Amino acid sequence: MSNVISAKNLTLAYDNGRKEIIKNASFNIKKGDFVFITGPSGSGKSTLLKSLYGQLKPKEGNLVVGGRDLANIGSRQLQELRTHMGIIFQDYKLINEWTVAKNVVLPLMIAGYSLDVQETQAHRLLKHVKLSEHADKYPLELSGGEQQRVGVARALAKNPVVILADEPTGNLDDYSSNVIWDLMENACQQLETTVLVVTHKIPTIFSLPYRHFIIESKGVYEVH
Amino acid sequence: MKFIKNHLMFILPLMAILLGIEFYLVFDRTTDSYEKGLKEGYTMLVVTKKPVTLQKLKQLNPHIATLEAIKRDQIVSEVAKGVSKESRKEILAALPYFYNVGLDSYLGTAALEKIKKDLEKDATIKRVETFGSSYSSAYRLFAFIKFLLKVFIGFMGIVSLFLIIKQMEIWKYAHRERMQVMEIFGAPLMLRAGVLFKVAIFDAFIATLLTSAVFLYVKFVWAAQSGIDLMMQKQDELFKMTDMAILLGVALLLVIMAVYTVVFSSKGVQE
Repeated sequence: MSNVISAKNLTLAYDNGRKEIIKNASFNIKKGDFVFITGPSGSGKSTLLKSLYGQLKPKEGNLVVGGRDLANIGSRQLQELRTHMGIIFQDYKLINEWTVAKNVVLPLMIAGYSLDVQETQAHRLLKHVKLSEHADKYPLELSGGEQQRVGVARALAKNPVVILADEPTGNLDDYSSNVIWDLMENACQQLETTVLVVTHKIPTIFSLPYRHFIIESKGVYEVH
Repeated sequence: MKFIKNHLMFILPLMAILLGIEFYLVFDRTTDSYEKGLKEGYTMLVVTKKPVTLQKLKQLNPHIATLEAIKRDQIVSEVAKGVSKESRKEILAALPYFYNVGLDSYLGTAALEKIKKDLEKDATIKRVETFGSSYSSAYRLFAFIKFLLKVFIGFMGIVSLFLIIKQMEIWKYAHRERMQVMEIFGAPLMLRAGVLFKVAIFDAFIATLLTSAVFLYVKFVWAAQSGIDLMMQKQDELFKMTDMAILLGVALLLVIMAVYTVVFSSKGVQE
């Protein structure tokens, strides 16, 4: 199966290249893989994820996502690439001035879908994450778990090629966490979406086969 | 309250620019005839031994545009009252020829002096009186006032533009999170900055309407009651509907420029 993400001798750094976080990392992730990335705090898990959605350019080496080399990508191409990604954040990053339904269809709005399509999809997605009755509420009226479900629904809105999740259950209780894992497992299983999750801890109840990478001492290693 | 304050912080500097522009337009229109009068009403006096033609004077200096002879009979009848017919004939014969000479454009004192010298080179011309000092001082005062007005409006415009950009940055800060989320999901710049454009364009309309309202009040209420002749005579010139289009055009141009300046100045989130 083809690689969705491919890194070769990847070095990531902050402060104009002075502070290296990841050094000479090489890995490949295929379509439909479910990947956990773990490591101690400050090891560079979130940094790696940022580089995958183009927020941080590689200092050295190659990083190819969806066939695009992120070291040499233009802003238009990056925009286009991001429309094929679903991104989930620990702090949800919902737009608080928008209703839940509008937040969910943000990727569709960006892709230029008609209002009718957006409305239908919002209904379908909110039903999928069991938040139909909250469509017209605002994010701050929901609990943390519910907000994260909105975040997951938004990430799934356009059937992305890859889902990147940064500590998606970091602020949630066990029940809400399980709901989020279920949703991501379903996306991976049913739609063959590649899912990359940065987390401190791999969930104990997880039915899907997965790959596990550890970031340690600036290196990225796969655990077999 | 905060909503109104946020909008006023943008509308007021924009209005300052629009008021300046409209004030200049009105000033220019109402003083246009005065300026024309200063330019075109000017003539110099030329005294010659023999009759001269416009063609001849133009050859001496190309700035000369009109020539009007002052009737000598009238001069004689004024100065020779009670004098016999014979003496009157002698006076007329001895009297030089007087002409009012107009110029093709407004000229400074030095240029007037040059014309005087050019004309006096001709032997038939006895004397040239330019009245340069009174002409020049009136026009210069007018030109100086106009220049000061331009400088003031320009300065006010620059300061106001900075205030507009500052306010735009505050808005951008307020909408930063939303714009970042949209960027992460691949929204193009125009869509991300859409909210700034919407607010700015709305405020541009409001500022135009308020500025127009001020001048409509001046035109229909204040001018009529002011007792100032110029205002009453030139009431129609105080505000024209085309001005509203000019103001709206300028306001939209300014706000679009301001949004672009702010959005592009902090483009990209590369770390």
